[in-house]
Amino acid sequence: MVTASASPFRPAAVVPTAIIDLSGVGKTYRTPAGDFAALTDINLTLPGGQFLAVVGKSGSGKSTLVNLLTGIDSVTTGTVRFGDTQLNGKSEEQLTAWRGRHVGVVFQFFQLLPTLTVIENVMLPMDFCRVGKPAERRPKALALLDQLGIAEQADKLPVDLSGGQQQRAAIARALANDPQLLVADEPTGNLDSRTTAEVMDLFKSLTRNGRTVVMVTHERDLSAYFTRTIELEDGRIVADNRVGAQS
Amino acid sequence: MTLAPRWRKLLGDLTAAQGRVALMVTALAIGLFAVATIAGAYSILSREISRNYLNTNPASALIDVGAVTPEIMAMIAADPEIANAEPATIAEGQGLDAQGNWQRTLMFVVPDLAKASIGTVFAQDGAFPPPPGAVALEREGLEFLGVARGGAISLRLPGHAPQSLPVAGIVHDPSLAPSWQEQTAYTYLSPATFAQLGGSATLELVKVVVRNATFDQARTEAVVGALAQRLQASGVTIHQIQIPPAGQHPHQTQMNSVLGMFLVFAVLALLLSAMLTATMVSGLLAQQIRQIAIMKAVGGTTRQIATLYFVGVTAIAALATAIAIPLGLAAGNGFAGVIAELLNFDIGSPDIPLWLLANLIAVGLLLPLIFVALPIRRATRFTVREALADQGLTRDVLTMGPVQRLLGRLAGSDRALALALRNVFRRRGRLLLNLTLLGAAGAMFIAALDTQAAWDNQLNKAAALRDYDVEIKLAQPIAFAKIEATLAGVSGIAELRPADAIAAATGRDDGLMIVRTYPDGGHGSLWLRPDSGLPAELEFLSGGVEDGGAIVNQQGWTLAGRPAIGSTIKVAVEGKTTPFTLAGVIRQILTPATIYIPPAAYTGFTGRSGQVAAARLISVSSVPGDIAALANTTETALTAAGIDVEQVLTEAILAAAQGGHVKILIVALIAMAVIMAAVGTIGLASSQGSSVTERIREFGIMRTVGASGPALVRNILAEGLMIALLSLPIALVVGLPLGYGIGVLIGSMAFGLALPLTVSIQAIAIWIAILIVSSISASLVPARRAIRLTIRQTLAHT
Repeated sequence: MVTASASPFRPAAVVPTAIIDLSGVGKTYRTPAGDFAALTDINLTLPGGQFLAVVGKSGSGKSTLVNLLTGIDSVTTGTVRFGDTQLNGKSEEQLTAWRGRHVGVVFQFFQLLPTLTVIENVMLPMDFCRVGKPAERRPKALALLDQLGIAEQADKLPVDLSGGQQQRAAIARALANDPQLLVADEPTGNLDSRTTAEVMDLFKSLTRNGRTVVMVTHERDLSAYFTRTIELEDGRIVADNRVGAQS
Repeated sequence: MTLAPRWRKLLGDLTAAQGRVALMVTALAIGLFAVATIAGAYSILSREISRNYLNTNPASALIDVGAVTPEIMAMIAADPEIANAEPATIAEGQGLDAQGNWQRTLMFVVPDLAKASIGTVFAQDGAFPPPPGAVALEREGLEFLGVARGGAISLRLPGHAPQSLPVAGIVHDPSLAPSWQEQTAYTYLSPATFAQLGGSATLELVKVVVRNATFDQARTEAVVGALAQRLQASGVTIHQIQIPPAGQHPHQTQMNSVLGMFLVFAVLALLLSAMLTATMVSGLLAQQIRQIAIMKAVGGTTRQIATLYFVGVTAIAALATAIAIPLGLAAGNGFAGVIAELLNFDIGSPDIPLWLLANLIAVGLLLPLIFVALPIRRATRFTVREALADQGLTRDVLTMGPVQRLLGRLAGSDRALALALRNVFRRRGRLLLNLTLLGAAGAMFIAALDTQAAWDNQLNKAAALRDYDVEIKLAQPIAFAKIEATLAGVSGIAELRPADAIAAATGRDDGLMIVRTYPDGGHGSLWLRPDSGLPAELEFLSGGVEDGGAIVNQQGWTLAGRPAIGSTIKVAVEGKTTPFTLAGVIRQILTPATIYIPPAAYTGFTGRSGQVAAARLISVSSVPGDIAALANTTETALTAAGIDVEQVLTEAILAAAQGGHVKILIVALIAMAVIMAAVGTIGLASSQGSSVTERIREFGIMRTVGASGPALVRNILAEGLMIALLSLPIALVVGLPLGYGIGVLIGSMAFGLALPLTVSIQAIAIWIAILIVSSISASLVPARRAIRLTIRQTLAHT
């Protein structure tokens, strides 16, 4: 059971005023049919503690935006800053190292590594990024799983878990290195309504500790959870609604 | 201590893919085993054959002076360039085997066998030196003649009655080619015992060792030539000088060539194994593209992830190395033992040099890493975005190029088939690996069978060109008319004709007759014959018939240094040198080096008129047993008429001496080709397994839109078949020159002439059949796996 109200997670190490800042960002893909502008002139500043929803129709640029935020993709024009760090011009390897330490990513299909147990999946980012001493990683991962209510599943393989449990494990993995930014691409798309509510509560609780959560969603009925919603259409932000105060 | 998660993942991946891992270990182990076996055997044999030969302190040269005198020995001993000299006689006689046939037997006559220091032999059993009236027998002779230890042997010299002499001791003479191979027994006896058989007590030749010239052929020839000229100047007649290749066992070059060829094949097998491993790793990585993306998404760098896979491959390579190298070296040791026994030398030490062991381990560990470097690099350099979007499609495929259009047309209106054919080009890298693997396996298969076909053709041609069935060599020249009269009453002879020949050498300016033969008189002998004895059917390799000119067969041409047509070749017999214009070179297989000259010139050399030292006959029957019986009857008739027969040769003896043993090599080549075919099939099976796994979801979609199970199976089988057949041109393009290369090696060893390029249609047909069967069997298992899954399972597949 998720215990979101207890604010179980450590606060992000540094909570700058603006965690992420996109300025004049554009992304164009070259295709056989010609250049395709996935994003155009995106200006977006995300302070710590914000729970941002990115909505829009299919092909509106949501995934591209998420890829730029996480350093999975790079901009064609404009700049992306994360705290004091400018992401433009960084190599794939530098972006990977940066992402591992500062960004947690949650995918729609969980994407747990099938040959690792749940707890090993959670420990993997710590291992890659050499976060903490090796002996401390398992207790930390176990604590995360415990807070997400799946500690008893720690030594099982992902295939033995339900969809909701797998998504919680994926969230635990995304939080393993205490990232300041959590990016989730339709994380509730494959979950039932009860589990969806639990996951959303969890994300909400994370923002209380100063983390910023960016979530791509198609589900309008989740709007109550978000502190801000931007809507994309044809690669542009067509609406930016701040729907509630941060708690 | 617990493993870090990434290593746990590696372990988990290897465990999950244990079937493929086992295949990879097996494939690598087979390749390494082959290399370790041949390299280990090569290392042992090349060292031991040399050690065995040199331990006999072989003569640098044998100078045939007709009758050795103390003065001659003193002159030779006075030469500062000569380290040692001993008198001897090497005579050709016959020994009676257990079946009652007289077999060629060489008699090495040495004054004091106990003190002999040149061309020594090693006592193995019984008394050595043998007491007066007894002989020592080279150990190979026991089996060849069927003589029992402690028994007696019937020996005869031409023109003398046979005598039964006790075999007092068994010796080992590692300087000689084995009895079974030369169809010759070797005996060692004192001059007194030799005289008892009717031989001359006067020794005929001097064995000399040139100082500091163990491996220096040029220096040996220069020193011995100068010595012979001084002897001639002192009135000594030099009949012939034998200078065998310096420091080399008679079969050292052949053995090294054969082992070298096997080593090349073993290395090819290893390369194929490594390639197969790369194909399998590539397949595994293709399934892990998303996982790689996830690892990158959570902070894993390309280097960390690549290291993970490299460590995995290193573990596989280490396991294969640990299994294959000890087994391979043990097999190599056993193989070396078999070859040593075949070539009649002993293995003193089975040790292999440390550098070889180190190199084998290094190759075992590093080669797979080199081969997988590209697939790992490619898989780990995908960006997260590309990897998460991976569908196994490249942009090249998405655009309809001419290949895709052609494949579409090939499939007609069957779109599912078109999809299958286009799928072949989905993973270009993997396709290339598969084609290389199958192409190389096919090339080896076709090359081996082409070589076999070329060899068979050559033997058939040899038999066709050899227009006689039995050759009779006589101890002394005799009137041919007497032979005709003697054999007139022998039934079964269709034709009898003279076949006189005389030992010769390529002439030198100094008039010396230097031949390149070993003490047994073989390996490098040259014969002179009148051109009236040329076979009716001639195949000229170059030149043709010319009045007064000489015709040589290819072995003679090689021995003479491959002179140009029209150039002068000098022929020396018994100190008399005559120049001839080289008119033509003919192909003669399984025939010693021979020069054919006009009969008048031949008579000028031999002084024989109407007399011959050899005759050939054609049997009425072509049945080998009848020919053998005719050979015996003929010999008996001639002996009864008081004609001394030195040797009777039938095609069966020639085949036993030369043919069968090379065939063993070809059988071994085919065995290797079959192994390669198996490796290729494993590769294709692995590749098809990966391909199907990657497209499980696609199959789900196809079934959703109505594709039946059999249609999917056909789709996958067509894909496998297409890959297999695409490899055929590679196999042909590589296999034909490879087969020719092997033919050059084997043909040169056996006939002094490359085997002709032979394309075996049967080989190609068999390979196509193997391709079809193996591609179907390789694709069937993954195809059945694909159709067993429900649509829901396939669509949920990640």
